[in-house]
Amino acid sequence: MSEPKRLHPATIIFNLVMGIRSTIFVFILIFVTLNDTHLFYAILAVVLLVGFIFLGSFLSWHRYTYRVEGDELRLEYGILIRKKRYISKNRIQSIDLTQNILHRIFKLVKVEIETAGTGAEAEASLIAVTLEQGEALRAELKSITKDEQVEEVIEINNLSQSISRKRLLIAGATSGRIGVLLALGGAAFSELERFIPTDFYDQAYSWVIGLGLLILAVMIVAVLLFLWIIGIAGTMIKYWNFTITKVDEDIVIKCGLLEKKHITIPLKRIQAVGHAENIVRQPLGYTTVIAEIAGGSNENGEQFSTVLFPLMKVEEVDTFLAKFLPGYLTNRSEIIPLPKRSLKYYLVRATVPILLLLVAVIILFPQFLWIPVVLLTASILLGFLQYKDSGYVIEGERVTLSYRIFSKVTMIINHKRIQAFNKKQHFLHRKEHLATIKLSIIGKMGTGKHYYVKELDEQTVEELEDWYSYRGG
Amino acid sequence: MRKPPIHTISHDAIKAWRITAVLYEAILWVITIVGIVLHFVVNFPLWIVLILIALSIVSTYFFVFLLPKLRWKRWRYEVFEQEIYIQHGILIVSRTLIPMIRVQHVETEQGPILKKFDLASVSISTAATTHQIPALSNEIASDLRDKISALARVDEDDV
Repeated sequence: MSEPKRLHPATIIFNLVMGIRSTIFVFILIFVTLNDTHLFYAILAVVLLVGFIFLGSFLSWHRYTYRVEGDELRLEYGILIRKKRYISKNRIQSIDLTQNILHRIFKLVKVEIETAGTGAEAEASLIAVTLEQGEALRAELKSITKDEQVEEVIEINNLSQSISRKRLLIAGATSGRIGVLLALGGAAFSELERFIPTDFYDQAYSWVIGLGLLILAVMIVAVLLFLWIIGIAGTMIKYWNFTITKVDEDIVIKCGLLEKKHITIPLKRIQAVGHAENIVRQPLGYTTVIAEIAGGSNENGEQFSTVLFPLMKVEEVDTFLAKFLPGYLTNRSEIIPLPKRSLKYYLVRATVPILLLLVAVIILFPQFLWIPVVLLTASILLGFLQYKDSGYVIEGERVTLSYRIFSKVTMIINHKRIQAFNKKQHFLHRKEHLATIKLSIIGKMGTGKHYYVKELDEQTVEELEDWYSYRGG
Repeated sequence: MRKPPIHTISHDAIKAWRITAVLYEAILWVITIVGIVLHFVVNFPLWIVLILIALSIVSTYFFVFLLPKLRWKRWRYEVFEQEIYIQHGILIVSRTLIPMIRVQHVETEQGPILKKFDLASVSISTAATTHQIPALSNEIASDLRDKISALARVDEDDV
C-alpha cells in the first residue's frame, strides 16, 4: 500500500454537509437580513456560499492522500497550506472505525487514528474510505497476524461480554436523559421565542385554561412519557449490541445501531476505572462501568469518562473487573466513611444556593414559594447522600474513592497513576481536624482530571498522604 | 502530623506582591476619583461614590498591607529526592505532593516586577497539573530548576 490513495469521493459530500452545518448561522443571517427586500440577492449569496463550500470540499478531498510506507502512515493534505503528516506505527494508540448512516448507505467507514499526543482532534481522521480499505488499513497498522490469533483466543477464553436486550432497555429507561431532553427543549424554545408573535401566548394561555386541569395533567404526563421514550430510544441506539472484548493488551468496544462505533483502548492508557450510579439506577442496584483514558480525542462527544459497560448489577462489577481488568479488582465494601462532623459542611454546601433562591422568591414571587421549598428538601437530601456516599479506602497500591455530585461515583486509581496529591484545609476545617483531598490523574485532551473527596478526617488524610508520599511517613 | 515544608520563599516576595497589588489598586482609585469628580460636576449619586471610597480603602489595606505578609508567611516549599512538597494559602491552607517521577518539565519565569527584585518563579508541570513557586531569588530558582530537572530524569514505567 505504498501508492498514495485518496479517500472515497463521498468524502466531498461529508465535507459539504459539515461545511454547511458550521456556517448555518451565516445562512440564517443572510435570510433574516435580506429576506423581505432582496430575495434575489439572498438566493444568489446562498448559491455562491454553497458553491464556495463545495469547491473547498472538493479541493480538500482532492489534496488529501494517505499511504502506508514502511513503518509510517503518511498523510498529505491542505488546500493553500500543504501539510504532510507522518505517523509512526508504533506510536499509534488506537484505530477507531465508525459508521454513521451516510457511511452505511455507501458501505464506507470513518477511520480515526490516535496517538498519545494531546488535542481535541484525532491525529488522523480519514473521513470516508470503503469498509475493506478501512479494515485493511487497520490490519496493516496493527499487524494482521495478531488479530487472527486474537479471534481464536476470544472463542476459547470467552473474554468478551455483550449487553442483553433486556438490560439495554433498562439502561434506556433509567438513563436520566429525560432531564437532558427537557433542558435541550428549554434551550431550543428560548431560541425560537423571538420568532413567536406575542399574541400567541395569550391565545395559548386561554386555550390551556379552557382545557381544564385533568386534560392539562394528561398532556404533561404524555409529554414526559414521550421524552422518556425518546430517551430510551436514544440510549438503545447508542449502545445497541454493546460488546466489550479483551484483545491482548487492548480493550475493544463495539456498539451502535445507526452509528457503529469500534473503539480500541490500550490497557496502559487507562488511568482509573470505576462505576457510576445515577439516582434512578442506584436503588435498583444497577451501575455503569466507566474508565478514564489518557489522551484521546473528544470527537465522539465523549466529554465524560469512557463507558466500559452501560449497565450491570453492582454485584457483577467485581466479576467484570476480574475478567477484563484484574489489576483493578478491589474490595469495595470496606470504604471508610466520613466522620459525623463533616455532615454539616455537606448540608450547607448543598442548600446555600437554594436558600438564596428561597429569599429571592419570597421577596419577588411569594405565590411560587412551593418551588424553592421543594428544591430545598431535595437539596438537603442530596447533601446528605453526598455525605453518606463519600469515602475512600487504600488497598495495596490502589486507592478507591467514592463521592457523589449527582450520581454516585466510585473510582479505583493506581498509586502510579496519581500525578499529584493535594490536601486543603480552611480555618474551620483546622479547628475540627477535617481536610479535603484532591487527586489528579491524566484526563482527556491532555488536561488533568481531578478527584475530590471533601471533609475527610484529618487522621485518615495523613494516612493517605503517607501512602502516597515517596518518602514514606 | 506531617511537618510543613521548611523553605520559605524570598522575603522580597512581599515587596513584589505589594507593587503588583498597588498597580491593581491604582485602577480602582482612578475609578473612585472619577466618581468623586463626577459627583461635584454632574451630581453623580453620592452613595455610589461613598461605596467606591470605602471599597478602595478596605481593599488597599487588605491587598497591599495585610495579605502579602500573611501569604509570605504561609508559603513554604521543600524539594526531596523523591518528591516536591508545597504549602500555601491564607484561609485555605493547601499542601501538595508532587512525585519526582511524575514531573514532566520545570521552568523559571521572571516578569518585570520580579526582575526588579532579582526574583524568579518556578513552575513544575506534571501530565495533569501545574504548580508554581512564586518568588525565589534568581539564583535559588535556577538551582531549583536544574535540581528538579535532574531528579525528574528517572525512567518511567509507562505512559
